[in-house]
Amino acid sequence: MPKTPNLSVEIGGLILKNPVITASGTFGYGNELNQLINLSSLGAIIVKGLSLEPMPGNPPPRIVETPCGILNSIGLANVGIKAFIKEKLPALHKIKTPIIANIYGHSMSEYAKITKIIEDTEKIAALEVNISCPNVEKGGMAFGTDSYTAAKVTEHVKKNTTKPVIVKLTPNVTDITSIAVAVESAGAQALSVTNTILGMAVDVPTRKPKLANIIGGLSGPAIKPLALYLVYKVANRVKIPVIGLGGIMNYEDALEFLIVGATAIQIGTATFVNPKTAIEVVDGLHNYCLRKKIHTINQITGSLKEYGESNEKS
Amino acid sequence: MLQEKTFITFNRMIAQNIYLMGFRSKKMALLSKPGQFLMIHLVGTQMDPLLARPFSVHSIKDNDILVILYKTVGKGTSLLSLSKEGDTISIIGPLGNGFPLPGKNQIPLLVAGGMGIAPLFFLSQLLINIKKYELKMFLGFSTSQEIVLFNELTSLGLDLSIATNDGSYGKKGLVTDILDQYLEKKSSIKPMIYACGPVDMLKEVSLRAISLNLTCYVSLESQMACGLGLCQGCAIKANNTTNKPYYYVCQDGPIFLAEMIDWGSL
Ligand SMILES: Cc1cc2nc3c(=O)[nH]c(=O)nc-3n(C[C@H](O)[C@H](O)[C@H](O)COP(=O)(O)OP(=O)(O)OC[C@H]3O[C@@H](n4cnc5c(N)ncnc54)[C@H](O)[C@@H]3O)c2cc1C
Ligand SMILES: Cc1cc2nc3c(=O)[nH]c(=O)nc-3n(C[C@H](O)[C@H](O)[C@H](O)COP(=O)(O)O)c2cc1C
Ligand code: FES
Repeated sequence: MPKTPNLSVEIGGLILKNPVITASGTFGYGNELNQLINLSSLGAIIVKGLSLEPMPGNPPPRIVETPCGILNSIGLANVGIKAFIKEKLPALHKIKTPIIANIYGHSMSEYAKITKIIEDTEKIAALEVNISCPNVEKGGMAFGTDSYTAAKVTEHVKKNTTKPVIVKLTPNVTDITSIAVAVESAGAQALSVTNTILGMAVDVPTRKPKLANIIGGLSGPAIKPLALYLVYKVANRVKIPVIGLGGIMNYEDALEFLIVGATAIQIGTATFVNPKTAIEVVDGLHNYCLRKKIHTINQITGSLKEYGESNEKS
Repeated sequence: MLQEKTFITFNRMIAQNIYLMGFRSKKMALLSKPGQFLMIHLVGTQMDPLLARPFSVHSIKDNDILVILYKTVGKGTSLLSLSKEGDTISIIGPLGNGFPLPGKNQIPLLVAGGMGIAPLFFLSQLLINIKKYELKMFLGFSTSQEIVLFNELTSLGLDLSIATNDGSYGKKGLVTDILDQYLEKKSSIKPMIYACGPVDMLKEVSLRAISLNLTCYVSLESQMACGLGLCQGCAIKANNTTNKPYYYVCQDGPIFLAEMIDWGSL
């Protein structure tokens, strides 16, 4: 009998039974798929982005399909942190998987306030800080596009919690590594790379944008090569774990992210295509490790070879 | 809610660009109620089109075959129309709330525009089975070539009134024109309306029902990424007397009471 491979990974002190996490905004409030999949088999669940107050979101249409991808302009519609804790979280109490809250604020003080509320909520295991939303204090520019403000947000969150803090980076910048380094110095314990890429689509007959919001965020297989490149760059610059995401559709895609340096991965848009994707990726990674006689999944992280190296198995 | 890979048992064109497709799933057939929908993906076309497409359950055949009625409008439906008996498809369903059934003394009245006939066929089968109503259905099509299921509906025992935009069959005009005439003539009865069709038609029907104080259920569509309550994509503006800014068609619908919707936003 071959030894069962160890798929567990550590993110800022939090132990996950496997490296497969569901991405924010693509897994509802966590419990929607409980009839289709065993939620306890997932490495972690990241819920929809939560704000201090409920947000209505953008007018429809909010979704448009593009080749091998989707553009969304949901506008961070959510019930707010308090209603989440009161109405949605109880359904997740029996699930043996860490629940991670994705948070965003319109100001530094909002980030701090949400963090304090989460600090007092036992069932939430960690925070993923979305810094891709507009910073009202800075005239609408995204917090995440400037190293200084990105670090400041991280500090505000860190100051108010003892739970692991993951910062989710935006790809819509010239140099993602400078932001990554700034956020790491400010105390982030892990980075999620990447959020959606800005894009748009036009309906030629009417000459109207296909999204009511005109612009949206691109996700899905269309962005995988770019996301992989960003993970590769960031993982080579920081010491903290990087969680890779962007267009992962199956376990082989997940392996690519691990090989370039990701410690864990997230499944986003793929869940819309097949709600069982995350579970299938867990099984796929397990079987791959068995086949290749890999004892722990950490051996794969950052195992990218150079072109001249021999092709012998890792 | 179930997810299954299954085989197409038939896929045939019944009018220009309009197809009937069946696939076997006993469990899903047993669970499905009129007004509910399925997310359908052709296996082997994982990347483009990427997402599954929503279709209403049109009927159940032989207790284990789910039937959909669809029109080719773009990439996904065109690919679907090329698929053959024996091809594999992936389905998730049944999804959404379904039509509430009429109360004891309520007289149902069905209003369909074009493909709106898809879920109303299933509803009329059920209504006729549970109670021998004098079931009346108003149908609107753009032209006589698009009239589908005429024989099936009449043999169910439905009383059909048809309008076509170009006057090539029945009354020339919109389905709301023939509905108006009926409601005016029969102002003593207070029917309960079930409507499905293009959004402009649903808006007209809803505004009439609201002004006449009639109960009216509409089946709405919106762009969906998941159909499962995961993405918050399928938003539709709620009437501002409610405390919700938006409803989500896949979870709160697709069937809504006419007065729940902010028709001005559509
Ligand atoms: C709950 C629900 C039930 C439905 N039931 C049926 C049904 O029984 N029979 C049927 O023929 N169709 C039904 N539809 C509509 C069907 O889902 C769309 O026609 C289909 O998704 C189009 O896919 P496509 O790839 O062919 O078109 P695309 O290439 O995606 O788009 C082509 C054109 O169709 C429009 N379109 C795409 N999706 C929709 C949509 N959801 N609603 C309105 N317009 C759309 C696009 O804006 C575009 O102009 C239903 C939709 C919903 C939300
Ligand atoms: C419909 C939708 C909603 C999203 N909402 C959020 C969100 O609330 N917070 C966040 O940090 N990321 C959000 N994202 C981004 C995803 O979590 C993920 O970073 C991105 O989609 C790339 O991964 P993918 O290609 O696997 O989907 C959303 C993405 C989609 C498609
Ligand atoms: S389609 Fe995704 S939430 Fe309704």
